[in-house]
Amino acid sequence: MSKAIPEPVIRLTEAFARLPGIGPKTAARLTYFLLRAPDEISQSLADALHDLKTETKFCSVCFNITVSDPCEICADAKRDGRVIAVVEEPLDVLAIERTGAYSGKYHVLHGAISPVNNIGPDDLRIRELVERVGQQDVLEVIIATNPGMEGDATAMYIKRELEPKGVKIQRLARGLPVGGDLEYVDSVTLTRALQGRSEF
Amino acid sequence: MHIEHLSLTNFRNYARLEWTLPKGTTVIHGANAQGKTSLLEAIYYLATSRSPYTTSDRQLIHWRAETDPIPYARLAAEVCTRHRPLDRIDMTLMLDTTNGDGARFKKVVKINGAEKRVMDLVGLVNVVLFLPRDLTLVEGSPSDRRGFMNDTLAQVDQDYLDALSTYDKILPQRNALLRRISDNLAAPHELDYWDSQLVKAGAVLIAGRQRFLRELEADAQKAHHDLTGKRETLTLDYQPSFTPTAGGDGQLSFNTTGLDLHRELSAEQIAPQFAEQLEAEKGEAIKRGVTLSGPHRDELRLHINGRDAGLYGSRGQARTAVMALKLAELSWMKQRIGEWPLLLLDEVIAELDASRRAYLLDRLDGATQTLMTTTELDIFTTSFLERAAVLRIVDGQIAAETP
Ligand SMILES: [Zn+2]
Repeated sequence: MSKAIPEPVIRLTEAFARLPGIGPKTAARLTYFLLRAPDEISQSLADALHDLKTETKFCSVCFNITVSDPCEICADAKRDGRVIAVVEEPLDVLAIERTGAYSGKYHVLHGAISPVNNIGPDDLRIRELVERVGQQDVLEVIIATNPGMEGDATAMYIKRELEPKGVKIQRLARGLPVGGDLEYVDSVTLTRALQGRSEF
Repeated sequence: MHIEHLSLTNFRNYARLEWTLPKGTTVIHGANAQGKTSLLEAIYYLATSRSPYTTSDRQLIHWRAETDPIPYARLAAEVCTRHRPLDRIDMTLMLDTTNGDGARFKKVVKINGAEKRVMDLVGLVNVVLFLPRDLTLVEGSPSDRRGFMNDTLAQVDQDYLDALSTYDKILPQRNALLRRISDNLAAPHELDYWDSQLVKAGAVLIAGRQRFLRELEADAQKAHHDLTGKRETLTLDYQPSFTPTAGGDGQLSFNTTGLDLHRELSAEQIAPQFAEQLEAEKGEAIKRGVTLSGPHRDELRLHINGRDAGLYGSRGQARTAVMALKLAELSWMKQRIGEWPLLLLDEVIAELDASRRAYLLDRLDGATQTLMTTTELDIFTTSFLERAAVLRIVDGQIAAETP
């Protein structure tokens, strides 16, 4: 970039461009928008960005993103702690919560096994899940990783790790579009899948 | 089956084309780089969602369209088959440059106006394509011959296509995992899932290939006898990277006899043997970081009078063998779908000597729709041209049509 552009502008543009789905053109457009916009817009963005990292953390039980630890769902005595739904991403928790058809708890893996992307079981919160199932009174684990190869590989691995614990292991997959992400599946389909889940 | 109408927008050098295709034979004639081949490519792409000429789909989008915010190409065809009076297939290829990290290629398929998966295209249009490149199939690389089996089978066999697409996704994952294991980043038991999937898909591919080649061989032999005046006999030698046996005592094929095509093996018989093979070579696979056995390493050899035509045959013999194989492919496809597939011949007629040319054109006589491109018209006999429609293509336009 040319020397005619002040350094803070360059810095913000480059920061935007590092975000997924944002190219250099969009990054520049966002920067110049903020430059011209009223101060409060950039101030509230700066605050939000700051709070995102300082005021959120992973729940030490389920590894969802939370403000309080344990998270609201883990702390909720009305929810059935004997059932755990295992999902890839925090957004998948939202998708299942939207259905209103699930009253158990969650475990967020933060990804799926994918050797080509150098993601193995140790890069996910699988060991924490196995420990959790061993320590708490868990009867049933619903593996709700995304349908498709990587989600299946992850499900198989988890099943193998959990089998010695003697819990009921189910897979949420039937009726879900293969290759689709859970977070994009509509609530009706997801509810049906939750009801029709099967042991595997 | 035949294509009634073809529309192209920003496809290769066609800014815009509306073409109502005649039935029977059409000779597409013109100088090089005018867009003859692109017409065949468009039809092949509509049938298979894949170009035979490039592995980079984005090249299909007209270069002039690249200055648009979202460059796109559109292909549409109206197809009539024996079973379905009229289907409209619509494909839009897009290069989305608006969302950073480089342009993203997107393909949207619609069938009769409804958005579908690419997989749903299978079987709507069946094509047999014959290119000059095919003439070197016998001497060419093993991957060309696997491609020949895949391209034909995947057009009519949904299970084969599903298995192929699964296999192609599992293999790089398994190879990556082998390397991770060798680097002590993963444990060998992590292979279990990938192995089970590779075995399941791979067994379908091997069984499918064996059956395909068995069905193909008789027709190929017949065409080859016709072409050689019965002096030579063509046999197909399928050599899977390991040889499954009916008894299950599979072993590596170091010999050249390959798999007996006439003792049919089911995917269920092959799968446990493939699994055993992967297990037996696991140590070596981890050491080398690649999957050593499987359909991705299969071979198909063509033998003439018992001798390998790729190794010992003359160039002429190899060409004759390929022609026999391609004609057998056509008969096989016709048999499978119950009608003539579309025939696309790109510049291949000019590559053949007079007697092979005459035989080929004779065998194609009666096809519902044949499109052949050529730079010279005088390779055809007058009586052939009188029965065909002749088009001249100049700079991405149909310049003239006769009669
Ligand atoms: Zn929690």
